[in-house]
Amino acid sequence: MNWINLHHLLRPLDAPRQVTQAPALDHAELCTQALRLAGGLQQRGVQRLAVHLEDAAELAIALLGAWRAGVTVLLPADLQAATRARWSEQVDLWLSDQAGDRSLLSLLDEPLPAADLDPHTCSISLCTSGSSGEPKRIDKQLSQLANEVSALQALWGASLGDAWIIGSVATQHIYGLLFRVLWPLCAGRGFERRQLPFPEDLQRASREHADFAWVASPALLKRMGDNLDWPALSHVRRVFTSGGALPAEAGQRLQQLLGQWPTEIFGSSETGGIAWRQGDTLWQPFAEVQLSQDAHGALRIASPYLPVGHVEQTADAVEFSTDGRLRLLGRLDRIVKLEEKRVSLPLLEQALCSHAWVSEARLGMLEQGRAYLGALLVLSASGRHALRNQGRRALIEGLRRHLADHCEAVALPRRWRLLRQLPLTSQGKLPEAQVQALLQAPRSMQPELLEQRQEQDQHLLTLHVPLDLACFSGHFPKTPVLPGVVQVDWAIALASALLPGERRFAGMEVLKFQQLVRPGDEVLLSLRWDSERGKLYFAYTCAGQACSSGRILMETVDA
Amino acid sequence: MSDPQQDLNRDLKQLIIDALGLEDIGVDDIDDQQPLFGDGLGLDSVDALELGLAIQKRYGIKIDADAKDTRNHFSSVAALAAFVTARNAA
Repeated sequence: MNWINLHHLLRPLDAPRQVTQAPALDHAELCTQALRLAGGLQQRGVQRLAVHLEDAAELAIALLGAWRAGVTVLLPADLQAATRARWSEQVDLWLSDQAGDRSLLSLLDEPLPAADLDPHTCSISLCTSGSSGEPKRIDKQLSQLANEVSALQALWGASLGDAWIIGSVATQHIYGLLFRVLWPLCAGRGFERRQLPFPEDLQRASREHADFAWVASPALLKRMGDNLDWPALSHVRRVFTSGGALPAEAGQRLQQLLGQWPTEIFGSSETGGIAWRQGDTLWQPFAEVQLSQDAHGALRIASPYLPVGHVEQTADAVEFSTDGRLRLLGRLDRIVKLEEKRVSLPLLEQALCSHAWVSEARLGMLEQGRAYLGALLVLSASGRHALRNQGRRALIEGLRRHLADHCEAVALPRRWRLLRQLPLTSQGKLPEAQVQALLQAPRSMQPELLEQRQEQDQHLLTLHVPLDLACFSGHFPKTPVLPGVVQVDWAIALASALLPGERRFAGMEVLKFQQLVRPGDEVLLSLRWDSERGKLYFAYTCAGQACSSGRILMETVDA
Repeated sequence: MSDPQQDLNRDLKQLIIDALGLEDIGVDDIDDQQPLFGDGLGLDSVDALELGLAIQKRYGIKIDADAKDTRNHFSSVAALAAFVTARNAA
């Protein structure tokens, strides 16, 4: 197929050229619709268009039509109410699949004549998603996009041939937009209309074509199961992946099953593609991309995919090898990727702390099956009140609802640990390893021992009843109280140092429960060992009030 | 006194809770008909991928990769149970 430059795509062609199927669309019809959309937009005086379409071919028509009419295009990451509100003043009209917005069909009118597009005045704006905190608008001229698809074609055009392009990622983001829409359009490769996020659908689509290639993501590639027809899939010409790191095991497995390593692209919305690798640890920068580092070792990028003269400073720590390739060493800020979604931990922590129930919050990422966030929380007085009177589940639900206004669902923490205080180091830091350890540990069943002393034969222990004891979720869901059996367990465990030799529980006497012990209470436990009778006397008090008391019979363990 | 259908539903709920790391949710909190995705239990497409793997492993069944819209079986616990039952019979 002949290459057509991005800004020449509306030129009439001599020969028919397929764009997509189901329903079929060829290049001539695509141009006709784009020019009719251009007419429709001009007719309505639209200057700024927001586009969110599932169908990649419709997106292609929308882009070309808008550019032909001199209309700027905004590609929002989603259509949530907050997203719409954020951009509403910068948009004249919303073109999307949602009821209430305009559809492509409803905007077609008398066509404008075909013409070349101006690479410098035509532009799109991409949006980073809301969960990256401050959503950012990234403007790109057509010339930047054109430079990038030309580079992709130079690198991999020959090896792809006429492969049908099938994608598991959305086209609202730079990777899907370039790989699923703009590159195939210029190269004359057919592409699948819809995003196929599930492996079974990807397989079905692949089987319809002799040659095919995938525009995939780690989220999909690391979860492709044994139920697939791997021999058939191994005809794939190339497997692209981007958006986040592909675990080495996943790459290795695909290499075994498909006979090729996935082609990984390292890039960002701001910079476009930066480097790529295939079965290697080092990344090869794209041909015209110039890389350097700042004083902290963070990557700086000059590239024809960036605005002319712009140098982008990233927070990615890197190391260069002598041949110019690079190794990624991780982020220098606290931005994490959850299944390819960029999430700013500091901004979510701020959002959590803006809730009346929270006084301090620290987030960490967990990977168990899937990647998700865990939250370490120090509750405020009203937060402790909510926990004690409504239960843990209502508290967490309330916080999740609060956060949902600030981020996408993927960023909502799934694991929560309620702490008395964050265990900061003397430098006031909470090391990441400590965050991980606290999040990964199961919820405790033990009290926190604050102080102990002895008065004659009495042992007095000051205990903090953790807010987050594992037993509170069930005892009881809406009013957590410390079960009597746990109080007895604690007394026995804490008395073990007082008892001569090994003893075991043999019964209880005069057990009294007078007042409930609740999460966050500070209680005084007094223990007295009566060796003559083999009885352990215990009493819990809270702020001077008796909570419980009794005698525990402890018999010797026969050797 | 156990109904095999109810046992399967409970089993699936526990599998969902374990495979997806859900806290503060017990099997009794998930309704058989409740939508698992979107506004229901709030799961997303990555959860659907994880769940697909977990179910195939747990029940020794295969999601038929050539059938259309296989993920419709994931809409609720009841739909999942019907799917597992049908695949086991197949």
